[in-house]
Amino acid sequence: MAAPSETGRAARWRWGLLDTLVVIYALVPVLWIASLSFKTPATIADGRFIPREWTLDNYRTIFDTSQFVRSLINSIGIALIATAIAVLLGMLAAYAVARLNFPGKGTLVGASLLIAMFPQVSLVSPLFEIERSIGLFDTWPGLILPYITFSLPLAIYTLSAFFRQVPWDLEKAAKMDGATQGQAFRRVIAPLAAPGVVTTAILVFIFCWNDFLFAISLTSTERSRTVPVALSFFTGDTQFEDPTGSISAAAVVITIPIILFVLFLQRRIVSGLTAGAVKG
Amino acid sequence: MAEIVLDKVSKVFADGTVAVREIDLTIADGEFIILVGPSGCGKSTTLNMIAGLEDISSGKLLIDGQVVNDLAPRDRDIAMVFQSYALYPNMTVRENLAFPLKLAKMDKAQIKEKVERAAEILELTGLLDRKPANLSGGQRQRVAMGRAIVRNPKAFLMDEPLSNLDAKLRVQMRTQLSRLQRNLGTTTVYVTHDQTEAMTLGDRVAVMRAGEIQQVGPPQELYDEPVNLFVAGFIGSPAMNFLLATPDGDSVQTMIGKVPIARARREAIGDDNVILGIRPEHLMDPALVDERVVRTGLTFEADVDLVESLGSDKFAYLPMEGERAQARELEELAADAGGADLPSVGNQLVARLPAESAVTEGERARFWLDPEKVHLFDPTTGRRF
Repeated sequence: MAAPSETGRAARWRWGLLDTLVVIYALVPVLWIASLSFKTPATIADGRFIPREWTLDNYRTIFDTSQFVRSLINSIGIALIATAIAVLLGMLAAYAVARLNFPGKGTLVGASLLIAMFPQVSLVSPLFEIERSIGLFDTWPGLILPYITFSLPLAIYTLSAFFRQVPWDLEKAAKMDGATQGQAFRRVIAPLAAPGVVTTAILVFIFCWNDFLFAISLTSTERSRTVPVALSFFTGDTQFEDPTGSISAAAVVITIPIILFVLFLQRRIVSGLTAGAVKG
Repeated sequence: MAEIVLDKVSKVFADGTVAVREIDLTIADGEFIILVGPSGCGKSTTLNMIAGLEDISSGKLLIDGQVVNDLAPRDRDIAMVFQSYALYPNMTVRENLAFPLKLAKMDKAQIKEKVERAAEILELTGLLDRKPANLSGGQRQRVAMGRAIVRNPKAFLMDEPLSNLDAKLRVQMRTQLSRLQRNLGTTTVYVTHDQTEAMTLGDRVAVMRAGEIQQVGPPQELYDEPVNLFVAGFIGSPAMNFLLATPDGDSVQTMIGKVPIARARREAIGDDNVILGIRPEHLMDPALVDERVVRTGLTFEADVDLVESLGSDKFAYLPMEGERAQARELEELAADAGGADLPSVGNQLVARLPAESAVTEGERARFWLDPEKVHLFDPTTGRRF
C-alpha cells in the first residue's frame, strides 16, 4: 500500500519542480520588465530585482503624452477590427474547406498556406508603394488589410480543424428540421465550433497586437501608429537619458489588454462541447 | 400523411458510380416500408434522396402527388431519424424537441404544449432539461424520435435508428417503434441492414442490391416466395441452405441424395445444373415427423458437427463435402456477411430443429426433407423457377 503512494508523491514532486522551473523561465523576463517600470531613473540600472525606490512616475509620463494614449487606441481598434473580419471570413472559408468538395479546393488551401509561409519582410516595400498610391498609407485600413491577409491562413487552418469535428449529421438534422443552410450554420454548427472561434480569435488578436514590421513601415503619424511602434519612438528627457523606465511601463501596459482578452475568452473555451451529439 | 412515389429514380455520383438505378416504388399513405440490403446497396442514398439531402440524378420523386425533386428538405415536410441520433449537444432535450417548431415560427405556448405531449409519448418528461451528453443511448434514441414526431410531418424517414443500441434495448425499441408508427399512422420509410428488423417492423419490405430493388412485398411473401437467390439468401436467419443440384429423371441429384421434383417444376428447369435452396426449418428430425409422411420425402444421414441450443430451438450444423453451389449472388451475400461466416454458403447445412429433437453434437443423425418445400434457382440468372 505504501509503495504506490510513495511513488505517487515522488512523481508529484518531480512534476511540481519541473512546472515551477518552466513557469520561472517564462515569467522572469516579464517580472523584470514590471520591476523596471517601477524604478526611478537613478536606480534603474542597479541590477536589483526588487526596486529600492518605488515610483509610478514612469506610468504618469507615458499617459501624459498624447502619443502613447493615441497609439493605444489605434492598436486596440485595429487589432479588434482585423480580428473580427479575419475570424468571420475564416469561419466561412473553413466551413467550406471542411464540408464541401469544390473544384480548386486544393489550390485554395495551398495558396493560403503559401501566404502564411511568405516572408512578410519582402512584401513591405511593395505594400508601401501600393498603399501610398491608393491613399491607404498611414490609415487604419492600411494596417487592417495586411493583418487580415496574413492571419486568414491561420484562421482557416485552425477553424477547419474545429469544423471537421462537428458531426455532419447535425447539419443534415437541422435541415430536416426545417432550417435553411444559413440557419443550420448559425444555430447549430457555429455554436459547436465556438471553442475554435475563440482560440482563433485569440491567436489572430495577438498576431495583430504584436506586429511591428507592418506597423512601422505603413504608418508615419499618430493617426494610425500602433503601440509597438510608438514604443520605439520613445525618447528620454535629454539625449543622455535612456527612456528605459517609460518603455518598461508601456510594455507592461500593452500586455494588459492581451491578458484581459485571453482571460475573458478563455472561459468560453469549453472542451468536449460536442459530447452527446452522436452515438450512445 | 402522404403517399411517396419514386418513379425511375436514379443516383449517379460525380465520379460516375451509380448508387441507385431506376427505382420504382410506391409507398402508400400510412405505410411502414423497409429498405433492406447489404451495405453499399443504395438504401441510404435512396432515403437521402427522399429526404432531399441528396440530389436526384434522374427520375421523379412525388410526395402527395407533387413532384418534389427540386424542393429543399425544409420544404418537403418530412422528419428524419439518424443512425447517430444527431442531437444538438448545445441544447437541452426540450430545446432539441422545440427546434423544428421554432424554425416553423410556431408561438411559444403551442411549442410548449407540443413538446410536452411528444415527451409524454416517449417517456422523456423527466429528462426535458438535461443535455444530450447526460442521457443514455436509449434515451438519446427516444429524443431523436421525439424530434421527428413533434411536428406531425408528412412522413418519417429512419436511417438505421436502432443499430447503435445494445441487443436487448433494440428489441424493446423495435416493438415501441412499431406501436408508435401504428398509433400515429404516419408514412414511414425505414432503412436497415438487419433482416430481423425488416421482417418484424414493416408492412412491406423492399430488398435492395447494387442500387436496384430486387423484390418488394410483405415480409412473409419475401420469405416464402423469394424471386431470386439474393432475396432467398438475405431474408431469413439462419440463412437458407444452398446445394448444387443436377437434374436426373424426375428428380435432382444433390450431396444429400435425390430430391424428387414435381413434374411442372421439373419441366421448367430443363437439364442444366440448378441450385437447390432449403430453409433450415425444412430440414427436420424424422423422429418427430409422422412415419407415413417421412416415406414421401427424402431421408438422409449426416454428421452433426455442432449444435446450438436456443432453448426453444436447436441449430444443427452439418458439414458437407463435395462441389459447392456457386452463383454471383451467393458470393455477394457471403462477402457481405464477412466471408465464410454465412454458413449456408460454406460447406455446411444448417437445420433448425425443435428443442425436443435428440440430435447431439459429434454424432451421426438422420434428417428428413419435404421436397415440396425446396426452392430451385437458376445459377446464371439467380431467378427462382
